[in-house]
Amino acid sequence: MRRDATSLRLTIIALAFSVACARGDQAARTDSGAAQAAGTARATGAASSVAGTRIGAPRSTPPGEWQMPAGDYASSRFSDLAQITPGNAANIHASWTFSTGVLRGHEGQPLVVNNTMYLVTPYPNVSYAIDLTQPGQPLKWKFRPENAQTAAGQACCDVVNRGAAFADGKVFYNLLDGHTVAVDAATGKQLWRTKMADVDRGETMTMAPIVVKGKVIVGSSGGEMGVRGWIAAIDTKSGKELWRGYSTGSDKDVKVGPRFKAFYPQDNGTNLGLTSWPGETWKQGGGAVWGWLSYDPELNLVYYGTSNPGPWNEGMRKGDNKWSCAILARDADTGELRWAFQVTPHDMWDYDAVNENILVDLPLGGTTRKALVHFDRNGYGYTLDRTTGEVLVAQPFVPMNWSTGVDMKTGRPTVVPEKMTAEGKLVKDICPSLEGGKNQQPAAFSPKTGLFYVPTNNLCMDFEVRPVSYIPGTPYIGANAPEKKGEGGHGGEFIAWDATTGKKVWGIQEPFPVWGGALATAGGVVFYGTLDGWFKAVDASSGKELWKFKVGSGVVGNPITYLGPDGKQYVAVYSGIGGDMGLLIAGDVAANLPYDVRERGSTLPDLGRWTSWGGMLFVFSL
Amino acid sequence: MRSVQILVGATFVLAGAAAARPRQGTPAPNAQASDSIRFVAHPEHIPPGFPSHDRPLALVNPLEGNANAKKIGSQLYVSYNCIDCHGADGSGAMGPSLADNRWHFGGGSAEVFESIYQGRPDGMPAWGGRISNEQIWSLVTYVRSLSAGKDVGTENFTGATVERTGH
Repeated sequence: MRRDATSLRLTIIALAFSVACARGDQAARTDSGAAQAAGTARATGAASSVAGTRIGAPRSTPPGEWQMPAGDYASSRFSDLAQITPGNAANIHASWTFSTGVLRGHEGQPLVVNNTMYLVTPYPNVSYAIDLTQPGQPLKWKFRPENAQTAAGQACCDVVNRGAAFADGKVFYNLLDGHTVAVDAATGKQLWRTKMADVDRGETMTMAPIVVKGKVIVGSSGGEMGVRGWIAAIDTKSGKELWRGYSTGSDKDVKVGPRFKAFYPQDNGTNLGLTSWPGETWKQGGGAVWGWLSYDPELNLVYYGTSNPGPWNEGMRKGDNKWSCAILARDADTGELRWAFQVTPHDMWDYDAVNENILVDLPLGGTTRKALVHFDRNGYGYTLDRTTGEVLVAQPFVPMNWSTGVDMKTGRPTVVPEKMTAEGKLVKDICPSLEGGKNQQPAAFSPKTGLFYVPTNNLCMDFEVRPVSYIPGTPYIGANAPEKKGEGGHGGEFIAWDATTGKKVWGIQEPFPVWGGALATAGGVVFYGTLDGWFKAVDASSGKELWKFKVGSGVVGNPITYLGPDGKQYVAVYSGIGGDMGLLIAGDVAANLPYDVRERGSTLPDLGRWTSWGGMLFVFSL
Repeated sequence: MRSVQILVGATFVLAGAAAARPRQGTPAPNAQASDSIRFVAHPEHIPPGFPSHDRPLALVNPLEGNANAKKIGSQLYVSYNCIDCHGADGSGAMGPSLADNRWHFGGGSAEVFESIYQGRPDGMPAWGGRISNEQIWSLVTYVRSLSAGKDVGTENFTGATVERTGH
């Protein structure tokens, strides 16, 4: 999933920073399609939803709580709370804060259940239960799991953790060293600890699980380490593994059987997870499952994406490389693969397909479709039919030049030959870069506006392939890929997207890639944080900035909202730069390691001026 | 030899301190063990810190300053995937920078050899026995050359390099 380390030294692209400058309330706005979508949004008034638009799996948990990583199974990151509105957002202020005691990238988000907030830190993956009913928010408990130190050196892109899931009085989360744990939500006692991944082979675990019908669903990280990716279900009570589906290999291992039916002909066949790879390269073929999971209770399908194929050197793995860079739908009970859609066949740019799949019902072609909306690393915003995997809409949501469009007959992107990478060839200026048009930072959806709120990157790269050998426990990459800011000189943009038309409605340009996730609320306010440490509230309809606050360290986490015991709406977000951006791209933002003092990288050379590593929770209210 | 004696002395002191606790409450469960654990005087004067002249290893790099070894080391640095952890030219990535003249486990030839040979707990693999000692020495020669003369202590953000005025 990462950029290549070598870019720190390889390229110097001096950008005109004055162009990149996005100044506060004058933040540059793009207005392509603004009138059209704003019309859509207002058609039914601010208080109700857009006709034919509905969250695909609305939450069954209380609206004032946040029990799942994305708030609901649909991954909408939408909350019905509406106390904070465009009219009063200017009055938001910091209510309280909490230091996690850990530096490094705080991706993910806290949970709130029964007036208790649950946090998981980056490695060593400490978890906290915070009592929201007491002044000063004291801890109910603190749990420090066993967690092998070697894992820290096996994680490609910082030692992040993307959060926990709550169910049946238990908190479930993954440890970097490849274990999944269940913790008693009342006492903090470890109930079980199951080894799922082999850290000595470069497998780590960073993703946030979801719990479906008594099963914790988890997946592996390590797409840069020559792993063989998988997703698995664990019994919430016993901690026993119930099923595991690999991303590559035989139909048996991938769990392809008679119930599998892909929409496109090239995705149907026997043992495609073997035959689309030369020799035994599928064994180190990547396809890790480190992103977000969604679930449709009616269809009983778990949706997720798989990572890049390994290594990045495409010549070492000719073929489609199934099912890397793919969106997969599995039966939640059995793990059987029901459909699969390979977003980027034979990836040669590190375009993982792990980004979240947002389940919504949308008005398309005169009817309401059960859709799945996915903003891929490759730069296309996909609207799929989530019952079949058919592509309904595929349009670029960021500037791109590696592909000219998606062939709607096959679902395959049409690749620009000059942007194909290969050994012995230096390919210049590929957009988006390997960080993708969007990366782990999850988007949000509001049924009130019918719009998706998407944190994006505006980065491009050069790409040079080199030979690489597989050595267990070391990176398996085989490329150098220095990155730089893309057209316009801004590093990212926070956009509103209409998934029925595939058009951007508005955008707020940011000086750096927007590496934190989005939160949409029924009050008509959308929240996100930036790498340089601004936490912002913007108007869901217009993108107008309503409020902002400078937190202690850059934001790579995802805001949530909840009702406090006092009946007030609170918004909580982690501050703590890291992950790919804060460690690899801008290693100089670190300050706590006397033996690791990095010089500025060339991609975001001035980020260190605006932020340093941190590890804080910030909570805001009116 | 001297440092070994100091270590032995320190071990006895610690053991004695640990054994002192049960005596205050219930009698020690094992009378023999309790008899054998008593304060042991030592003749050494223990200096503060870790004296730099008393390194535990006395390995000498047979390829020190050898230009060809440095070149071979730079190639092995790519072949053995060091580059993807420590960055091109040791600039730092998943693993720490090797170009900053700062060392977690010591920057002497012997210490860098030891880091590569036996690995380090944060995920640095142990290469001893997997590749030849001569290759490790070549890597040591290359890696140590990356930070020669570097002074990375200060980063100044003012001036012409930062024209962006921010939000």
